[in-house]
Amino acid sequence: MENKVSYALYVLQEPVQYIALTFMALMYAIKIYQLMKKPGPPEKAELKGDRYAGALHSLANVLRPWGMESTRSHPYFYVEFLIFHIAVALTIGSTFFIPLTPWLMTPLVSKVIMVFMGLAFLIGLRRIYRRITVPEIRIISSPDDFFAITLMTVFFAVGFVTMWLWIQGKPETGWMWLFFLMVTFFLIYVPFSKISHYVLYPFGRVMYGQVFGGRGILNRNAR
Amino acid sequence: MPDPVETSKIQTSEPEPAAPEKLGTQENRKWPVLAEFTPEALAKMEKVLPSKLNRIVQTSLAGCIHCGMCTEACHYTQSIPEDKTLVPAYKADRFRKWYKYRYDWMAKAFPSFVGAKPLSKDLADEMYDKLWGGCTMCRRCTFNCPMGVDYGMMVRAARGIMCEAGRVPQNLQDTVDAHYNHGNNMAVPQDEFIETIEWIEEELQSEEGCEHFTIPLDKKGAQYLLTLNPREPKYYPMTIQSTAKVLNAAGVSFTISSRYWDMTNYAMFNGMDGDAKLFAKWLFDEVDRLGCEYLMSGECGHGYRGIRWEMSNWLGGVPFKITSSMELFADLIQTNRLKLDKSVHDNKIFTYHDSCNIARSGGVLEEPRVVIRAAVNNFVEMPHNREQSYCCGGGGGALAMPEFAKRRIASGKIKADEIKATGANVVLQSCHNCTDMLKEICEHYGIHAKVMNLAELLDPALVLTD
Ligand code: SF4
Ligand code: SF4
Repeated sequence: MENKVSYALYVLQEPVQYIALTFMALMYAIKIYQLMKKPGPPEKAELKGDRYAGALHSLANVLRPWGMESTRSHPYFYVEFLIFHIAVALTIGSTFFIPLTPWLMTPLVSKVIMVFMGLAFLIGLRRIYRRITVPEIRIISSPDDFFAITLMTVFFAVGFVTMWLWIQGKPETGWMWLFFLMVTFFLIYVPFSKISHYVLYPFGRVMYGQVFGGRGILNRNAR
Repeated sequence: MPDPVETSKIQTSEPEPAAPEKLGTQENRKWPVLAEFTPEALAKMEKVLPSKLNRIVQTSLAGCIHCGMCTEACHYTQSIPEDKTLVPAYKADRFRKWYKYRYDWMAKAFPSFVGAKPLSKDLADEMYDKLWGGCTMCRRCTFNCPMGVDYGMMVRAARGIMCEAGRVPQNLQDTVDAHYNHGNNMAVPQDEFIETIEWIEEELQSEEGCEHFTIPLDKKGAQYLLTLNPREPKYYPMTIQSTAKVLNAAGVSFTISSRYWDMTNYAMFNGMDGDAKLFAKWLFDEVDRLGCEYLMSGECGHGYRGIRWEMSNWLGGVPFKITSSMELFADLIQTNRLKLDKSVHDNKIFTYHDSCNIARSGGVLEEPRVVIRAAVNNFVEMPHNREQSYCCGGGGGALAMPEFAKRRIASGKIKADEIKATGANVVLQSCHNCTDMLKEICEHYGIHAKVMNLAELLDPALVLTD
């Protein structure tokens, strides 16, 4: 596919994105620096397990829905989670592929991304509904939680239409403008929002894995 | 605050039977406990907060995405479903709101957008209610959190901050102060302790086949230094007798210190690191004084974790090995050093409750089962066991907070249901707080089951040979 667009859209799709991306990277670097300044989990006791294996096991938790009771007893949540996050990854990917490697965005690839975006949109709607209607979720929700999921849901909807138009051979549409404007907003907003949880995610999982892996609680079968 | 490890002058001479030494710190302390949060207390909390933010605590505070996956993991939520404010993330948010107000970037401009709140008396009161009286730091939610939020560390940090400011449940703090002032948390005087052990030894020797069994005090060069929970010499001397009987039967070289023998560490519950370190240091010094190869915890959940896992971190490592009687019993069985007759327990059905600090936070998962399977024929696991076991409700110092007793008993319902599901008439466990809690919930929820620990299980099944 070709990405023949106006200079203005080119500016939005490339230089503006790079600037926003650099800003995001900088914010994340500061976040990570602030975290790494803090003392990590020590373990000076004689180990019963393996801290490294524990950390790896914990990181791979995302691929083991049977690993936690919370996902084991709610496989539907896990499937939702997986689709939603695959859609996020594909959508982020498409913001690079469209301007930089448009030939990669064949109709088939674009359709796959579209399907994930569509499903993620529906999942987003369900999650908003859940946040509003389930008392134990509502009670822990802040406006940021609602805003983040609403934003993502709208983003997937916009992405879905954009991708559909892209497949029709229309690289410059109002939807494409909206899509990339939203991407720009995301890059600047996300470091300040709960959506940035993925930066903390590896830290949380690795430390959990180190502590409980070292104590011989995780990864017992492997040992 | 000066480091109590540095300021306490630990005496190292041998005890004089005639004149018991002053154990604990040289100068007694009564921690000033406030009845409510004052402006000064809030200011103190603001000051202390940064010092409690290690990497795990900070990640746990900043990393929660409010997904609610931890909700069903908590025994409070399971047992008291009508109270939505007992949901783990809600409880933690009482602390998190304040943390965000101080540190979250977005909160600097739009605090309410991210749910941030400045520390106020109302918020501090909520913290007090939920983090002292609504969480046992059992970490079951942690094991079910996709982000790896560590409730044990996070809630302990919050408690430590409140405690530093003087807002701590009085009875819990009295327990820590007793340990600080007397060297054990029930202020058992040294002469009384020695007399108790001597009396238990006599009782043991009066049992058939145990005439030569001993409970050596301060025996230098013994392989294991056995530590106890003060509830044992005070209220449950039979557990000491049973433990000593098993160790003697297997020919284990062990001793008990007449000075610092208390394995508990309630500073793990009130979050005061200096005190926790001090109590650990006393045990460290006793291993050193007596030249033992192992420091061994008896059957006590948080005591085990404190000794086995936290002590080395508090003291920067230890030059001796650390184990527990549960692990040693399993080893003695697996190496055929104990002979057991299972038939003595044939008329009973047993189940085992995994103490959170022994299993989920301690890694002792299979050893108790080795012991139980060697001693009984009728053993039924609870639906949730090992690291997935529900807290009985008595963890985190909950038994030392009578002001939350009603909620504590209510929170034990899920455990009571699990015990009932096994049909057991004996609930085994390896923790003194669990013992008391399980006894209470058995009585409260109408379960006709005896509660006993592993030493008490092994004792009658021992086949004593010359
Ligand atoms: S640590 Fe235990 S008691 Fe505390 S919130 Fe988590 S599951 Fe509940
Ligand atoms: S499971 Fe973890 S991330 Fe989700 S609400 Fe609970 S603590 Fe927060």
